[in-house]
Amino acid sequence: MKTREVVSSLTFRGIVKYVTALSATVFLLLGAFYLYFSYTSFRALGESVMSELETLELVYSGQSLAGVNQYIDDQLASSSIHRFYYLVTDAQGVKVAGDLPARPSYREFDDGWLGFELALQNWGQSIDVEFLAYPMLLGDGYQVMVARDYADIVDRAELVFRTLFRFLIATLILGITGGFFSAARTLDRVERLNQDVSRIIRGGANERLQVEEEKGYIRVLAMFMNQMLEQMEALMQGVRRVSDNIAHDLRTPLTRMRNDLSQLRDRSGQEEGGQLERIIEECDELLSSFNAVLRISTLESGSRLAGGSDVELRDLLRDLVELYEPLAEERNIDLVLEAPQPQVCKGEVDLLFQMFANLLDNAIKYTKPNGHIRVQMSKKLTGDGSSRHIVVISDSGPGIAFLERGNVFRRFYRVESSRGEHPGHGLGLSLVQAIAQYHYGSVELGNNNPGLQVSIELP
Amino acid sequence: MNVLLVEDDKRVGDFIVTELTAVGHSCVHELDGAAGLRAAQNATFDVMVIDRMMPRMDGLALINALREAGNNTPVVILSALGEVDDRVQGLHCGADDYLVKPFAMAELLARLEVLHRRVSAVVGESQTTLVVADLSMDLLRQHVQRQTTTVTLQPREYKLLEYLMRHAGQVVTRAMLLEQVWGYHFDPQTNVIDVHVSRLRQKIDKDFDHALLSTVRGKGYRLGPQLDD
Repeated sequence: MKTREVVSSLTFRGIVKYVTALSATVFLLLGAFYLYFSYTSFRALGESVMSELETLELVYSGQSLAGVNQYIDDQLASSSIHRFYYLVTDAQGVKVAGDLPARPSYREFDDGWLGFELALQNWGQSIDVEFLAYPMLLGDGYQVMVARDYADIVDRAELVFRTLFRFLIATLILGITGGFFSAARTLDRVERLNQDVSRIIRGGANERLQVEEEKGYIRVLAMFMNQMLEQMEALMQGVRRVSDNIAHDLRTPLTRMRNDLSQLRDRSGQEEGGQLERIIEECDELLSSFNAVLRISTLESGSRLAGGSDVELRDLLRDLVELYEPLAEERNIDLVLEAPQPQVCKGEVDLLFQMFANLLDNAIKYTKPNGHIRVQMSKKLTGDGSSRHIVVISDSGPGIAFLERGNVFRRFYRVESSRGEHPGHGLGLSLVQAIAQYHYGSVELGNNNPGLQVSIELP
Repeated sequence: MNVLLVEDDKRVGDFIVTELTAVGHSCVHELDGAAGLRAAQNATFDVMVIDRMMPRMDGLALINALREAGNNTPVVILSALGEVDDRVQGLHCGADDYLVKPFAMAELLARLEVLHRRVSAVVGESQTTLVVADLSMDLLRQHVQRQTTTVTLQPREYKLLEYLMRHAGQVVTRAMLLEQVWGYHFDPQTNVIDVHVSRLRQKIDKDFDHALLSTVRGKGYRLGPQLDD
């Protein structure tokens, strides 16, 4: 499985999008949770400071400054980790009790809250710790400030945040990895489906997808595709039936007519016989174009080559050139075959021979005496490492004008200048194209400067 | 030659019967597959001509039934189904030749005679010399001579002459030569065969006072002493 294919697949991209959107949502929820957590933590801290102040106020109103001092000393003696810090000052701002330095530099927040930073000795190390404090007047100019460090809250919030963030990253990684594998699996199934479909394209309409091997929606898809194939096959059979019917219903009466004429010829005298002979020839001409059209239709509408046998193209071309050599020689045309090595392709030997014969026949027909015709065979390597057979037939005739090249494959089309001058019914090249395509090949017309160059490409 | 014709088109059938009778062959005509099968089982024929698309029993089924019953009479299929597949299918099921409608009677006749001759001359397969009038071919040495003159032939010309000599006296059509000598069944747009035959004629007939290889107008070629007509 190619990673790039999976990554660029629709399924994978969909899953990545979903995981990203999911993560963004989770991230937003996480942020809200973090804010809520911080807010409630600070509120609890503030409330504890306020209640401590209330206690101090009560202590002061009951036992005055000495009581407050006593209370603070008691509190400092206890070894609670998260304890309060105190500062009691007189009217002049001189420190009278507590463990905070006399005048910490603090920032003022809203609602009378103060914030400052102090270096505390902790495990023998000096650590800067953030404090939150609230001052209160006790009476007689005395002022008390209760402070509480909030490093623990920050620590906890950070812990929560980090945990959730890691969770988020893990979700992303797991989601994308899972997405990759699920996309790979989908791709795998689609690939199998592709292979099946290309096998059907090669093998013809009677093949079907294997529904049993598939599950879920792919199975449904395969079932639908099979139904489509069935319809296609029915249509194709319909076309074939129609052409069979034409063949049977129309050619048979034509045959009868021809045979009746031939009987008539045998019975008639010299003069009438000659005339009848011409009519019979016309009849044969008509029948042969009719056959050619039916043949082209069958090749084009039917399924393509299924199987076929191994055809050695060099031998075939040698036979072809040998067959046409005397004809070329008679017209003083130089006919050369260049096929350096044997090349084997799958095909119907008679059809391939017909195709090349039509081309060579045309070449001889249109090449003037003392001209040249070359039949060349070679191999062309394609991108995927397989090779294709190339057969080029080039002549030194008049060629076909660039604008005409698309037209000459149309049935019954004849280049205007050749009408009358050369016999034919304008079906030769249509048949060539039909045969080439039947073999999954192609025909291309080019310029031989001067002359025509026809290239046949076969797999 | 005793021919069984199984053809559902009465007019085509009648025409074939008339033509065959005219050249001295006897012919039994049946109009559907089942009747054809019965006729083939009840009498012996030299050759059979069978259509493919027929009521009651398809031509291929008929041939299959005959071959399974051990009947090896040569069969020519005469059908409008003329694609490569159809042909291969027909020959595969046991037919000896396949002729596509519309057909020329001369073509059918030539093919029937060749098939008939092939069966009756199976013994002659092992012969080493072919002789037609004063033309002789030594198959072992691949040597051809007319009277006392050696004729030098190209390999294909040799094969062409061999086929003509094996069917001496019979009309051989261009399509038959393409199939048998060149081994391809196709439809040439021009009469390429004529050029080959005239080359061969140059070599075997040119320097002699009577020609052996003659063109039968509208039909094909025939090798052998000139007929009187």
